[in-house]
Amino acid sequence: MPTSSYRTGAWFAVFGSATTLLLPGTEKARVADLWSRIDDGAGFDEVLDALLQSGLGALPGFVLVSGGDGPTKVLARGAVQVTGSADGEQVGIDGRDALTWVERTLDHVESLALVVVDDASSEDTDDVDTDDVDTDDVDLPIVGGLVRVSRVDQPAVTAPPAAPVGTPPPAPEAEQAPAPVPESSPLDDEPDTANMGTREDAGPLAQPVDPPDEADSWAPRAPEPPAAPPGPPPAGPPPVPTGAPPFAPTDALSLQTDHAEQAGSPSAPPAPPVDDDPSDHDGLTRTGASSEAEFARELPGIPGQPAAPRVVAPVARLLISNGETIPVDRVILVGRAPEARRFTSTEQPRLVKVPSPLHEISSTHLEVRPGSGADHGSAVVTDMGSTNGTVLEQPGLGPEDLKPGIAVQLIPGATINLGDGVTIQVTRP
Amino acid sequence: MTDVELHHGAASDVGLVREINEDAFLVAPLVFVVADGMGGHDRGDVASRIVVEEFSALAESGYDATRGPEAIAATLRSSQARIAEYDAGQRAAGAQDFAAGTTAVVALVVEQTQGDVGGPTEPMWLLANLGDSRIYRYNDSVLEQVSVDHSVVQELVDAGTISLADAAVHPERHIITRALGGSGSTEADFFVLPLAGAERLLLCSDGVSGMIDDDQIADILSRTSDPRDAADRVVAAAVAAGGRDNATAVVVDVVGLVPDRPYDSDAQRMSLEQKLGALP
Repeated sequence: MPTSSYRTGAWFAVFGSATTLLLPGTEKARVADLWSRIDDGAGFDEVLDALLQSGLGALPGFVLVSGGDGPTKVLARGAVQVTGSADGEQVGIDGRDALTWVERTLDHVESLALVVVDDASSEDTDDVDTDDVDTDDVDLPIVGGLVRVSRVDQPAVTAPPAAPVGTPPPAPEAEQAPAPVPESSPLDDEPDTANMGTREDAGPLAQPVDPPDEADSWAPRAPEPPAAPPGPPPAGPPPVPTGAPPFAPTDALSLQTDHAEQAGSPSAPPAPPVDDDPSDHDGLTRTGASSEAEFARELPGIPGQPAAPRVVAPVARLLISNGETIPVDRVILVGRAPEARRFTSTEQPRLVKVPSPLHEISSTHLEVRPGSGADHGSAVVTDMGSTNGTVLEQPGLGPEDLKPGIAVQLIPGATINLGDGVTIQVTRP
Repeated sequence: MTDVELHHGAASDVGLVREINEDAFLVAPLVFVVADGMGGHDRGDVASRIVVEEFSALAESGYDATRGPEAIAATLRSSQARIAEYDAGQRAAGAQDFAAGTTAVVALVVEQTQGDVGGPTEPMWLLANLGDSRIYRYNDSVLEQVSVDHSVVQELVDAGTISLADAAVHPERHIITRALGGSGSTEADFFVLPLAGAERLLLCSDGVSGMIDDDQIADILSRTSDPRDAADRVVAAAVAAGGRDNATAVVVDVVGLVPDRPYDSDAQRMSLEQKLGALP
């Protein structure tokens, strides 16, 4: 995976092994949640799902770029522009063009620049100097982590800063040449591999950045200008020109064969035109074969087998007055005859049926789930629009009626009263 | 498996415009499927048939009723793989850009643990949706759409950009965002309903839900007690309303359950029976 470089600014950028995400500086809570997912290697679809969980209306803008093999997917919304070159052609995407978002699928991306157009809108809420014209013309390399940015380049550009937006990098095989890729750098300077887990990497940072969530210990990958070898890695395969070899047939298909294939066996004849061609032809329809490859890549672990359910340590325990004990390690729906809506095969909610002889408890009365963002590490309770409501008593506080649909953080020792004599006590896990 | 008695009916019609019926359905208690091969794609009828065959195999071989979502997800994956294989075969035979696709809605009776881990289980409906075919439940004279379409207009509705009424006539209402085949997401949405909360389920393709509105569907379901007649009449109504697409409906009734009634009607009946001396 090619590394990236960035210039400091007001937006957040999250760099992961499979995706890169940009969010406005106002979206601190969202960034904290998404950073943990992206850092765990979440795929494009998973990140997109999480991004849209609370609806599109609450999200003023974002850029989401998929990494890995196969076509690169780019989504842009709001005051951002994505420029670059792919398959020898210039690409220009403007997030302001669309009511929802702009989506593009690009084959053989040579370079991408994600530029925040209107930095001023979020400037007032942050003390970061966003006047990047004067101070932030330095492109800092990054592999993984969470930083404030005004611009992101993939692959990384080395100083001096890139020329005007959209100019392709000098070398055609840009994925290899200019990037100070850690995998290829000597091992003696930094024990980190390409792994993005930079939590412990709390060295002095070149650019101070506001932590979006103090509960999370985190640090962006510190830029290492002295350790970056200026030249291409010595052991890399010789660069192969992107054009068709002279002996190859000059039909369009030979231009679309995979770069890696060419680099691996430069002397091999081009692949037969019909089989395993991973690219699309008109930019709209995509072939089934490519989807199969993409499908397989999204599943970690053993190929062909379903992903193991994510193991989450319980954040609390619920003692229900009928004697049951429920760990809060996933979404829990409590009610007289609870129903679960719109979940995925890997994140199945637990349904807890409680007796309600007087029918004071609604069929799906309330939900308890592990909190995210500011509530990370504790459980939150939400009344699901129950008929007779829910009363929450937190330690040291008076009884409180839950408002339907509004999540409330649970403190150990809290008591939830559903009516009909059913109460739930919240304890530590 | 707990004793559950299901009565069911199914109907499918090519409609008045299309030449072939690309819909397919499966009625193999306790597994029910409707798949809508996609118009505009190549041979959607093959793709939808593959989905039905895979779920038919699941119904025959049986499944772990406590791990329903995994069973459905695995079956959808094997369907996806077979569709991709079929595509590859067609492309190898010279059909460039060949890509079959299909939606799928699935209803499966599973055992859901109630409360405590390892505690007692209860039969429930496990529903899965991929694309814009739909699952409705008809309970207590109320029709409710359970599945949420994977479509561009549904995203716009969720975002608050357009209203439900706009969605029904939106020019892009047939563009779906998830399906089997093709390259989009193949991750299904799942839903769990207690059997008692869904006396009647309707699984249908968009040739039904796009031709007649929810009120008409509710009207037919309320007036037709036999699920076979209900399925026939729903499809006939869709064809009569224009039949612009293949129309398919599967209706499943849960029989013999004690309905989940509000307290007062229970108490009233109880006291009446006590008054009559029927109870001690």
